[in-house]
Amino acid sequence: MKLGRTNVPASVVVGLVVAIILDTVVQIAWKRGVSGLPPGSSVSATARGALANRYFYVAMLAFSAQLVNWLRVLARADLSFAQPFTALSYITVLTLSSRFLHENLSPSKVVGVGIILLGVYFISRTSSLTTGGIGIGRSDS
Amino acid sequence: MTTKLAGLTLMIGAVTGESFAQMFLKVGAAGGPRALSSPFRELAARSRAGSSPATWVGLGVLFYGLEILAYTLALSCLDVSVAFPLGSLCFVGVAILSKFFLGEAVGTIRWLGVGCIVAGAVFVTL
Repeated sequence: MKLGRTNVPASVVVGLVVAIILDTVVQIAWKRGVSGLPPGSSVSATARGALANRYFYVAMLAFSAQLVNWLRVLARADLSFAQPFTALSYITVLTLSSRFLHENLSPSKVVGVGIILLGVYFISRTSSLTTGGIGIGRSDS
Repeated sequence: MTTKLAGLTLMIGAVTGESFAQMFLKVGAAGGPRALSSPFRELAARSRAGSSPATWVGLGVLFYGLEILAYTLALSCLDVSVAFPLGSLCFVGVAILSKFFLGEAVGTIRWLGVGCIVAGAVFVTL
């Protein structure tokens, strides 16, 4: 797959797509898991509240799957290239929250989504993997 | 300590924890200290534990655990509208750590992208 002037390996593209899906599941489940916790709870009360909520376990399961997938992505791409792509999950979470949790989708949120997309586009224009030796001061992408 | 200050402190801890977790996972995924820049590569390679990719993955998981704890506690002290954009600062933290500890080429365009993502996250919570 060609993104701009750089060639991103298909395995990295697939890994990033899976990462965004799993990240979305983690964020939605986490949001549902902690939404019932009273503000200013103690550490033990927060832990008990989270452990008693099934969404917390869904989040942890997706989090574990994410870890395995993410290690595969990082083996093939720069961290500073791959990690910003996970910001796309902000957009999927926002869309799902609006569609299924009936949360308000304000104009500022739409503008925010546009700016995030622009940021991810800029990142995609850089090389996915730094080459030419290891060390500070290597040539810029 | 007020609830808000405690929440902000926890968010700083969560952002730092996630940034370092990501860096440790990258080193583990890349096969160990060879992913680090000099002189960190040589320092890590001196010990048997530092040479093992499993150590770095373990450190990454440990720091993720700390991040989960800090973020969950922070959400009980702060509004999501405050915690969410603060959490996006991990993109900045990762870019800094990637440049200085991993020697990745983090140039103007990549920084521009990171800046847009953080700005976008702020707008999303307005």
